[in-house]
Amino acid sequence: MTQEIPASPPLGRRVVAVLAIAIALDTLSQLLWKLAATRLPPSLSPETLLHAVAHDPLPLLVIGVFLLQLVNWLLVLERVDLSYAQPFTALSYVSVCLLSAWLFGERLDLHKGLGVLLVLAGVALVSASPTRRETQ
Amino acid sequence: MSAKLIGMLLVLACTVVEGLAQICLKQSSRRPSARLRWIVVGIALFGVEAVLYTAALQRLEVSVAYSLGAMSFVFVALGATWLLGETLPITRRLGIACIVAGCAVLATGG
Repeated sequence: MTQEIPASPPLGRRVVAVLAIAIALDTLSQLLWKLAATRLPPSLSPETLLHAVAHDPLPLLVIGVFLLQLVNWLLVLERVDLSYAQPFTALSYVSVCLLSAWLFGERLDLHKGLGVLLVLAGVALVSASPTRRETQ
Repeated sequence: MSAKLIGMLLVLACTVVEGLAQICLKQSSRRPSARLRWIVVGIALFGVEAVLYTAALQRLEVSVAYSLGAMSFVFVALGATWLLGETLPITRRLGIACIVAGCAVLATGG
């Protein structure tokens, strides 16, 4: 069996998949982190932090999502340039913006809509840029 | 200084640390012999970032904090060029500029 290397689309399916997972985990961790931060006492000392974590499992859940994110991100970086892959995570700006409006009641207006469009255009441009693919 | 300004400065400090952490992680995939070492340094930097960012989130809306965090795209791209020798095609530079502009628009919207 010869390994098939797609010539026309620059990215393999696995790279697209790990990038999509990276964006989803990024969104999830941002929203959980915000939720965790709002539930922590305003002044952070090691004792109050430990006390808070002992009574609230949310910060531990955030750490768990971060670990998943890290493992997944290392899979991305094994395959493409850092300066190519990292801008894709900007897509989570769009999802965080929409979800935080919905979950936390943060404002969403025309102004933010313009920002979202610029981010999407930027990611489209980056995805069109040639990247060096690294094979293991 | 207002709480909002302090929060914004904290986020900017995060973006610099983030750039360094990303470079360490990329380096881990390029240097298999020292893979774990680079990952550990990267994680340590993420830890520093986490403390700074948590403090920032207590002072800012998540959308504003996240938007300012877009400066990390610039620091990561510059670091990847200077320290890792990656090339930045013109489309990628334009794309990153668009992303940062978009995030600046998002940040001033709040």
